[in-house]
Amino acid sequence: MTTTAPEAKDAVREDATGSVLEVAGLDVHYGRGRKRRRALHGVTLDIAPGEAVGVIGETGSGKSTLARTVLGLVPASAGSIRIAGEDVSGYGPRQWRDLRRRGVIQYVFQDPLRSLDPDLTIEESLTEPLLIQGVRRQEAALRARSFLDRVHLTTDLLDRLPGELSGGQRQRVSVARALVTEPRLVILDEPVSALDSANRVQVLEILKELRTSGVALVFISHDLGSVAGTADRITVLYQGELVETGTARAVVNQPQHPYTRLLLGSAPTLRGKPADRAEREALRALLSA
Amino acid sequence: MSPLTHDTLTSRPAGTAETTFDAPGTADAPDASAAGPVLALHDVRITDRVTEREIVHGVTFELTPGKAVGIVGESGSGKTLTCRAALGILPPHFEITAGRIDLAGTDIATLTPRQWTDLRGATISAVFQDPASYLNPAIKVGAQIAEVIRVKQGLKRRAARRRAVELLGAVRLRDPELVYGQYPYELSGGMLQRVLIAAAIAVEPRALIADEATTALDVTVQAEILDLLAELRERTGLALVVVSHDLAVVAHLCDEVLVMRQGEVVEQGETRAVLHDPRHDYTRLLIAEHDSYGLDTFLAPKEAS
Amino acid sequence: MVRRVLALTSGRIAVTILALIALLALLGPWLAPQNPLATSDNALAATSGAHWLGTDYLGRDVLSRLLDGSRISVLGSLEVALVALVVGAIPGILSVYLGRAFEWFTLRIADTLVALPFLLFAIAVIALLGNGITQAMLVTGVLVSPLFYRVSRAATLAVARSPYVEAAIVSGASIGWIVRRHVWTKVLPPIAVALAQTIGVGFVIVSSLTFLGIGVQPPEPTWGGLLASDLGYLSHRPWAPVAPALLIMVTVWACNLLADAIRDVSGEAGRALANDHKARANRREAAAGPHPAGGSR
Repeated sequence: MTTTAPEAKDAVREDATGSVLEVAGLDVHYGRGRKRRRALHGVTLDIAPGEAVGVIGETGSGKSTLARTVLGLVPASAGSIRIAGEDVSGYGPRQWRDLRRRGVIQYVFQDPLRSLDPDLTIEESLTEPLLIQGVRRQEAALRARSFLDRVHLTTDLLDRLPGELSGGQRQRVSVARALVTEPRLVILDEPVSALDSANRVQVLEILKELRTSGVALVFISHDLGSVAGTADRITVLYQGELVETGTARAVVNQPQHPYTRLLLGSAPTLRGKPADRAEREALRALLSA
Repeated sequence: MSPLTHDTLTSRPAGTAETTFDAPGTADAPDASAAGPVLALHDVRITDRVTEREIVHGVTFELTPGKAVGIVGESGSGKTLTCRAALGILPPHFEITAGRIDLAGTDIATLTPRQWTDLRGATISAVFQDPASYLNPAIKVGAQIAEVIRVKQGLKRRAARRRAVELLGAVRLRDPELVYGQYPYELSGGMLQRVLIAAAIAVEPRALIADEATTALDVTVQAEILDLLAELRERTGLALVVVSHDLAVVAHLCDEVLVMRQGEVVEQGETRAVLHDPRHDYTRLLIAEHDSYGLDTFLAPKEAS
Repeated sequence: MVRRVLALTSGRIAVTILALIALLALLGPWLAPQNPLATSDNALAATSGAHWLGTDYLGRDVLSRLLDGSRISVLGSLEVALVALVVGAIPGILSVYLGRAFEWFTLRIADTLVALPFLLFAIAVIALLGNGITQAMLVTGVLVSPLFYRVSRAATLAVARSPYVEAAIVSGASIGWIVRRHVWTKVLPPIAVALAQTIGVGFVIVSSLTFLGIGVQPPEPTWGGLLASDLGYLSHRPWAPVAPALLIMVTVWACNLLADAIRDVSGEAGRALANDHKARANRREAAAGPHPAGGSR
């Protein structure tokens, strides 16, 4: 795969049975001095190869901070992070860049409108991670084409600009872009929340298909419904802490924490009786106490 | 259907009863207009003057007091344009080219800008998707609501302030006095949307248009706002137009639903009927999509008991 | 971008005028009908067949001096703009990426340059480095550079936090890669506007400097120099300053016009403008041509 770092690739293969991502006791703080705020506290997460894990959380729960910390964009104040067996806790900018260049871990952003450079063609965006790795242009273009097919897009989009694509198409391009380096872990931050329902279904289908390809997915979302069908495991993040973890079915059907219960009671459903307003009130009161 | 009773809008403390503000006009008139629809659209068509293309191909519905009508459709289906037409705020280059819109019995085509100003807020009002962009970031939120009340109802500063605090309480903000003195950046998205709803109902409109008002919010916050709208409707007979791309949000709140696609109403009817017996393929698709990725699928059947 | 600028009437006018002036700068010295430095007894002559614009106080042909001076005037202002671009834009972009120390340092320098009294500084530097056109333009360029620093820094900051730049970082991109691939294209339009503006300003500065005798030395002709010498003989030939003044004015005006055109066609504003034109045209058409099927209601 990567011609630039063969020894690193071997190291990864040795570890193929271990976790792709191991987060233990992670604390993250923002700001300094009196303005210092805790964003994450004691987060522990373990993701096996090929596993799909949903992280549920609402605004301010710290879910994006979690993703950004794992990707090295935000420094952790305590705890450890291991990516494919490699302890990255004390990494400096240079080590991070080397790690990222190997393409082991990739990221899909929430906003498909802004996650592709509006001045670059789809082909240029798709090949970028490969070109950064030092893959030759023609070789990169060839590989980009094959990944376009994986997200059900046709190659005639390659020389278009993002502005000419629909939101769903753009998000699928973003997914393809994250896959071109054949990563072992892709973190998706709200991949479908900016899409309308038709596009949402399409992107979710693609993500489901991906699960058979052996890449591990971390699926961050505020929407239990879209995660429940795609993830094996679900973990619920509330005010910077993981309050509940379990299989998707268990979390949805036997929620333990009041917040999870409120989440479930709040999701609008089609045929269910308009869920009990009083029950939600009670849960809100319980949580704010 | 509950009658239009402004008095019940807020639970006013007994001591402040002398500051009632039931505007004389609205107190006398309701019987005449309350009988008819607050808002009636008849075959409304909207054209984009830039491309000379018709964007909305005929929307018809009637909104009587206390009723809730939902419009569902993907982005670009013309649902927002329809609402903006009803509010008289179509973006530049867009025009109503056929059909008529009656607001409390008056054809809006005959309204002068001045009459519009009087009607907006007092008869029809709206909340939109992005609450932060409808508030001035440099002015305390309470003062912005009080300003609406002073201009529209001619109340004195002190009375307007008291009324604004009441309204903030009425939208279930925990500490209305505190929120009154806060700036928009100090509030979360859900709180801002409540503030905007408070401003929208400040002059006791008879109809409220909620255009994707909960789309940008978290699920739990969305439920709070929807609960609030349902409560306002029950208590005050506020008529609602709920616009959303999410069928479930509309189903949750509305008696009647319009399904729009590419400017066309492909299905219209009682919510329950549309959900149980969809006639158009697009409606079926919407329901199927919700079934495959909504929570309903994963909930074990025991919930029904 | 170029095509969109040319689609605007103002853009076309600006480009045409600037092209003519560039041509003048290129060919001016050859076009000059007489030796611009040759004096004659025929001083302060009125316009005639031999001297289209008359002669100056030493009997030199004014038209020849104008044409000959055009090159140095135009080159001078270009030099100012380019120096300002290089000295301002590059640190402006890098200030976002090279860490806090660099950022603080360059910001303070930019502030200092803005605060310096321009003419005094120019005179001081020339006293130090010697008087010459290159020195004068270098100094001027450096003094104008904070404009470019700020413009490019603001544009870069707007891009730096965007998801596509973060996506590139997550893929292991270096700063150089990000600037080359993502930042540069976004910073270009505002810089183009600043550049057009600065060329205009450069003209005024070169002219005013030569007017004061800084930079180009007599008898070498420049537009500003001509204006200065002509002003001294205003009582004898009141119309004399008109030609050089007009040239300076038209050039500056064309530069500003071009800057406005670039601003109008870039970004959201450009698209709104185009739509507005189209809608108005359509409405006019609808009003003019009676609709055969007018009764649509």
